[in-house]
Amino acid sequence: MQTFRKLSANLHLYMAVPAILLFGVFFIYPLTRGIGISLTDSNGITAPHFIGIRNFIDFFHDDRARTDVRNTILFALGSAPLLNMFGLLYALLLDRKMAGKGIVRTIVYLPAVISPLIMGYIWYFILQPERGYISHVLQQVGLESWDVNWLGVSSSALVVLILVNVWQYVGMTMIIFLAGLQSIPAELYEAARIDGAGDRSSLWHITLPLLYPAIKINVVTNIIGSLSVFDIIVSLTDGGPGYATESLSIYILRMLYGNSTGYSTAVALIMFIIIIIPVFVFLKLTRKREYEL
Amino acid sequence: MKTVSTAFKYAIVAFIVLIALIPFYVLLYLALNAPSSHSFRGLFLVPEFHFANFAEAWKGSKIDKSIFNSLVITSGAVALIVLVSSSAGYSIARFRHKANALIFNTLLLCLTIPAIIITVPLYSLMKSIHGINTHWAMILLMAANAMPLSVFLYSSFIRTLPKEVEESAIIDGCTYFTAFWRITFHFVRPVTSAVVILTGLGIWNNYGQAVFFLQKQEMRTVPLAVSMFFQTYGAEWNKMAATALIGLLPAVAVFLVFQKYFIKGIMAGALKG
Repeated sequence: MQTFRKLSANLHLYMAVPAILLFGVFFIYPLTRGIGISLTDSNGITAPHFIGIRNFIDFFHDDRARTDVRNTILFALGSAPLLNMFGLLYALLLDRKMAGKGIVRTIVYLPAVISPLIMGYIWYFILQPERGYISHVLQQVGLESWDVNWLGVSSSALVVLILVNVWQYVGMTMIIFLAGLQSIPAELYEAARIDGAGDRSSLWHITLPLLYPAIKINVVTNIIGSLSVFDIIVSLTDGGPGYATESLSIYILRMLYGNSTGYSTAVALIMFIIIIIPVFVFLKLTRKREYEL
Repeated sequence: MKTVSTAFKYAIVAFIVLIALIPFYVLLYLALNAPSSHSFRGLFLVPEFHFANFAEAWKGSKIDKSIFNSLVITSGAVALIVLVSSSAGYSIARFRHKANALIFNTLLLCLTIPAIIITVPLYSLMKSIHGINTHWAMILLMAANAMPLSVFLYSSFIRTLPKEVEESAIIDGCTYFTAFWRITFHFVRPVTSAVVILTGLGIWNNYGQAVFFLQKQEMRTVPLAVSMFFQTYGAEWNKMAATALIGLLPAVAVFLVFQKYFIKGIMAGALKG
């Protein structure tokens, strides 16, 4: 009874326990088991043997894996800067006094509500070769020669994926930037104006430096999101042509269907390293850049 | 000069709005097209108003069952996320002891790990706990995946609240535990909105894990039902779009209800952390 009373009085100290239990069982435990599996030749059928780091060595001789790493990184390198640039432009535009800006913000965010899988199907309908809507319009106006197979050429297919991704999630980056803009006190702009600063120099010397926290969140979430891209590629190009737009996460899941579980898990761990390096480098670089109010 | 630049600004805004609405219009166009029409008529996408697609999609893909599955999994997981991560965020923000610091740093580190990379070991875990093709295991899994972000948002926000919020309740005889549920929980509503929108949409739209752990037809969620129109029968655009639109409605409705606090919640939770 005594201990029960003591426990209930101190319950607030243990309130984080359910969260870590849940996370421990469904995330940390599988993650640590994954390290074990990655060191075996597990294939889901016969008993696995310990093979050391052979899977990790194989990775570096795997052309398809190398293509996928390149695709994934190119996708992230294209997506993250564009998302931030357009998100910031949108936020600056919609932060001003304007009739109906609330509705406009909501509409700009709405594409992010659609599942990326369905979004991929929608753009496939628009862009698919010959039977797509763009092809149809070009034929109607007599510009058949402009009818390029966007999804059939590796470079343009990747560009299409980047643009669709940017266009779907620009509302998300915009909202973070809007939140950041609202946290900048109006007096700062007032003072700058009295000191003779124009719009442009206010933007460079007040807005951008004070937006660092928002930029940081956006860059980190964009890096994580675009390096683990999956759904939209499945529905828009299915990794094609060939493996030209296949991302690492798709490769990992396809190998599961092909029963290469040991190797697939090793590639997954390598993917984790690929994601965590740019995030940490970025956080380290920006640490000193933050300005306290 | 001023009116010109204002007009220019509104023109840009109108353009932004239009391109954001493209997917919704395309879905509507496809959903209202007759099943037989494979070719376009004219230059613009004008639908035929063939409303029967919705009825057929409803029957053909058992969309009612899929929506039910999505609703059960999403609402169950979101409720669990809000309860578990808000109390964790409170304890971490207010009572700094070593275990709490360890829990917080662990979650923060894992914020960068995409869930997809643990699929193999997770599959054997789900198999051994008989969680494949069940609602409860999917709820627990989805909630677990959302823990890092939501605990982070809640704890950052609660740190910005003055301690006096709970103190008066403590004087009235509450414990810190009951004071949280009676008082603080109401103050964190902006973060709750942000968490409901961010994690709720992610779970509603989840495909990468649903495709592995919900393989039975009667366990299918909305994204799985939509993708079926491409795999089993070739591309059935009209039914795919009708199904997608029906599945989109609950997501848009929840977003519109909670969006009022969304910016506030993201701002307080994320930017101050």
